[in-house]
Amino acid sequence: MTQVQLFVTCLVDSFFPKTGQAVVDVLSRLGIDVDFAREQTCCGQPQFNAGLRKDARAIAEHTIKVFEKTTGDIVTPSGSCAHMFRHNYTELFEGDSNWHPRAKALAARTYEFTEYLVDKLGVTDVGAKWDGMLTYHPSCHTLRGINVDKQPRALLANVQGSTLVELPQAEECCGFGGIMSVEHPELSAEWLKRKISNLEASQSPTLVVTDAGCLMHIAGGLNRQKKSQRVMHIAEVLNQR
Amino acid sequence: MDTFRQRIRESIENETLQIALDNNTERRLKGRAAAFESIPDWRKRRQRAHAIRADVIEHLDEYLAQFIAKNEENGVIVHRAKDAAEAIQIILGIADSNVSRRWSENNTDDRSRRTPLLIAKSKSMVSEEIELNHKLEAEGIRVVETDLGEYIVQLRHERPSHIITPAAHLRKEQVGELFHEKLGIPYTTDIPTLTATARKVLREIFLTADIGFSGVNFGVAETGTVCIITNEGNGRMVTTIPPVHIALMGMERLVPNLENLSLMLSLLPRSATGQKLTVYTQLLNKPLENQTRHLIILDNGRMRLRNSPLKESLYCIRCGACLNACPVFRELSGHAYIGKDKSIAPYPGPIGSVISPGLLGENYVQLAQASSLCGACKDACPVDIDLPKLLTRVRAGQIPTVDNRPQTVGGAGLTWSTRLGLQLYARLATHPKLYAASQKFAALGTHLLSPRSQWMRLPAITGWGYSKDFPRFAGKTFREQWNKNDVILSEAKDLGNNDRDSSVALLPQSDINKVEQFTNELTALSGYVTLTKNPTQSIIEFLNARGVNKIHLEPNTLKESLLRKANIEFTDTPDDKILVGVTNAICGLADTGSVLEADGALHASLLPEIHIAVLKSSNILPSLSDAMKFVNDKSAAVFITGPSRTADIEMTLTIGVHGPKEIHVFVDDSNSG
Repeated sequence: MTQVQLFVTCLVDSFFPKTGQAVVDVLSRLGIDVDFAREQTCCGQPQFNAGLRKDARAIAEHTIKVFEKTTGDIVTPSGSCAHMFRHNYTELFEGDSNWHPRAKALAARTYEFTEYLVDKLGVTDVGAKWDGMLTYHPSCHTLRGINVDKQPRALLANVQGSTLVELPQAEECCGFGGIMSVEHPELSAEWLKRKISNLEASQSPTLVVTDAGCLMHIAGGLNRQKKSQRVMHIAEVLNQR
Repeated sequence: MDTFRQRIRESIENETLQIALDNNTERRLKGRAAAFESIPDWRKRRQRAHAIRADVIEHLDEYLAQFIAKNEENGVIVHRAKDAAEAIQIILGIADSNVSRRWSENNTDDRSRRTPLLIAKSKSMVSEEIELNHKLEAEGIRVVETDLGEYIVQLRHERPSHIITPAAHLRKEQVGELFHEKLGIPYTTDIPTLTATARKVLREIFLTADIGFSGVNFGVAETGTVCIITNEGNGRMVTTIPPVHIALMGMERLVPNLENLSLMLSLLPRSATGQKLTVYTQLLNKPLENQTRHLIILDNGRMRLRNSPLKESLYCIRCGACLNACPVFRELSGHAYIGKDKSIAPYPGPIGSVISPGLLGENYVQLAQASSLCGACKDACPVDIDLPKLLTRVRAGQIPTVDNRPQTVGGAGLTWSTRLGLQLYARLATHPKLYAASQKFAALGTHLLSPRSQWMRLPAITGWGYSKDFPRFAGKTFREQWNKNDVILSEAKDLGNNDRDSSVALLPQSDINKVEQFTNELTALSGYVTLTKNPTQSIIEFLNARGVNKIHLEPNTLKESLLRKANIEFTDTPDDKILVGVTNAICGLADTGSVLEADGALHASLLPEIHIAVLKSSNILPSLSDAMKFVNDKSAAVFITGPSRTADIEMTLTIGVHGPKEIHVFVDDSNSG
């Protein structure tokens, strides 16, 4: 049986554990043996993006060590964390003869969840069912960070009973941007407004994302504005039977 | 609150600005997308462009030496300036020698009759970088911006808000008021009227200027060619009419050869303005007759930048596509990008948030924090600069140090609370047990704060609470829930259906006849094409229909005996009063509807309101790269792509700014049977 390691991400772990469970369920149904290394914490992207590289490096070293003790591909329900593993860890350890190869080895094992399903397993229909309309927001780091876009769209297109409609201006950032949403709340608010009005224009009651960051940002905005639309992580949609 | 955040807030609350910016962004994005459709291999071109720029920056010293030697051989006076102060000194020196020349020519010893030296200036970002206007004006020199957008912001005593569209922050009502107040015309919001007013005022400037000043889009190392592109024609005016031309270029702005240049030119206008080719693509080799050309090559921190982790930012070709794609720029405009000392950064947007601190130091480091690292800039970049990566490097303090001052610390521009929070979080994240305990603590805390709802309303001061609610920590985290035996195990389903085809389909090779393609392209740009077997006769008919009896004619273009018989007077002396200029096109470009003119045709194709070009049908070539071979032996050449135009007021396309308002190409197909 193929074994994979789940990097659940700090946001899913702390705020949306159901998403993590959905990833495990979907993969298990496909015959994958999912393991979870308990010592994992966060990928260190908040520190990396803020420019606090020393702190980011400490977390990255920790994460690399945790996964070096495990075998199999690493699957994560976040394009952003996959981007961090794949591109930013190697950037962090540029020129470090000890850590750079170890970062590269980690990157080579890492897949975003939908990327793993489609590119590695060759699956675009997981047998999910959903009654109603869905629309997809391509998270920035999924779309432009690791160039994953066809995969989630293909998976969603095969969800039985659902209609996938296009979100206007789908490729625009929702305004999360990690610490930017805290450091520059005024900017973040403007983009969030736009994302929500585009969601309304799509007429879909449900917005699907591949990242818990966008999820908590857009859902937090919808809740503040008392809107009825909901945001779901793609793993939870694909886990609907 | 720091002033940068204040400026951001002001921009967002400024409704006029927001409408102007939305206008700019939407049109630019659409234009760019449409323009790239005509080059389906753009991804490949982009990678090649990246490689070319990387090679230039890597071997900058050699390419510069080659470029300078070639220019000196071509009769251009080359200066090198290590910083802004040196560049200004060089320009003042050139100005000085021209002041004395002018006074001696005019025999004016009477000081009161001496008018200040006049510099007509074409748009140049690098001149903004060294604050040229300000410094020359302090020395009593009159500098007039001649790009319509730049002219508007100069009249308003502002700095450009966008590197391509300097007045992108303004609406037509504001321009109408400005022209009414400063130029004394009746208030109007009619963009063609505003544009025509600027044409009239600035034409006088071109004709009387002592010095023409321009930037440089590209320098070609192998040939020494200076490439300048403008839509309005002001770039041509300042490099053609005044007796002295000063070109100021950033030292990194090179390409190895003309073939590389044509690749860059297939990307730059498409990215900048959504055009296949800018209206006037000038290639200057030697000074014109009775003209002196000075070329000033500026370092101003570029060498330092080259030796830093921000090196890749020097690949930039200043198209402004990253500004248009950037959701931050879209809310702010260039004026909100300010340093700690509140000065406006010379370069805004994603690239500006890297090169402003990269060239000018720590003052502008805070700009890099205003980004979600969404990557739209990298996607839009025609030379594939990894801007998000560079932004994180600026944030990490990896900017070149100025004057051996110590390296900036990482996290510059962060509020102290965010910095502290992130550092604390990093400690927890490297100690899994502590981490798990703090999750429990946070869950407890947030459940106490918000016992009923999964979402909490935080105060606006937290940043997050400004526009959205915050989720409660889960009562049971994933790690607590994790129990391997709970996992549902079911039969693996083989659901195959793997579609991972990532190959980009190339459009079928177009087999449209070249004349037809040329005609379609030029007509789409509001140019006119007439097929004829007797160009002289057809042009005489055109002139008669327009009631024109005097033309500015490039020698050996038309049958002069026929003209005489038709009572059409002709001259090859430049004269601003003549309405029609007739030139012989060296060749045409089918894919852009351009004609190539050079040397003897430069004035006749620029000053008159109507430009007529005679083009042999057999001289229509597929595209720019096929025509570069004709450029080398000319002093100066220009690819003309449609009539002079601008979109500087509200992104509204207006035909006829400084160059001709009409272009008519008479395609001579007498040889094609």
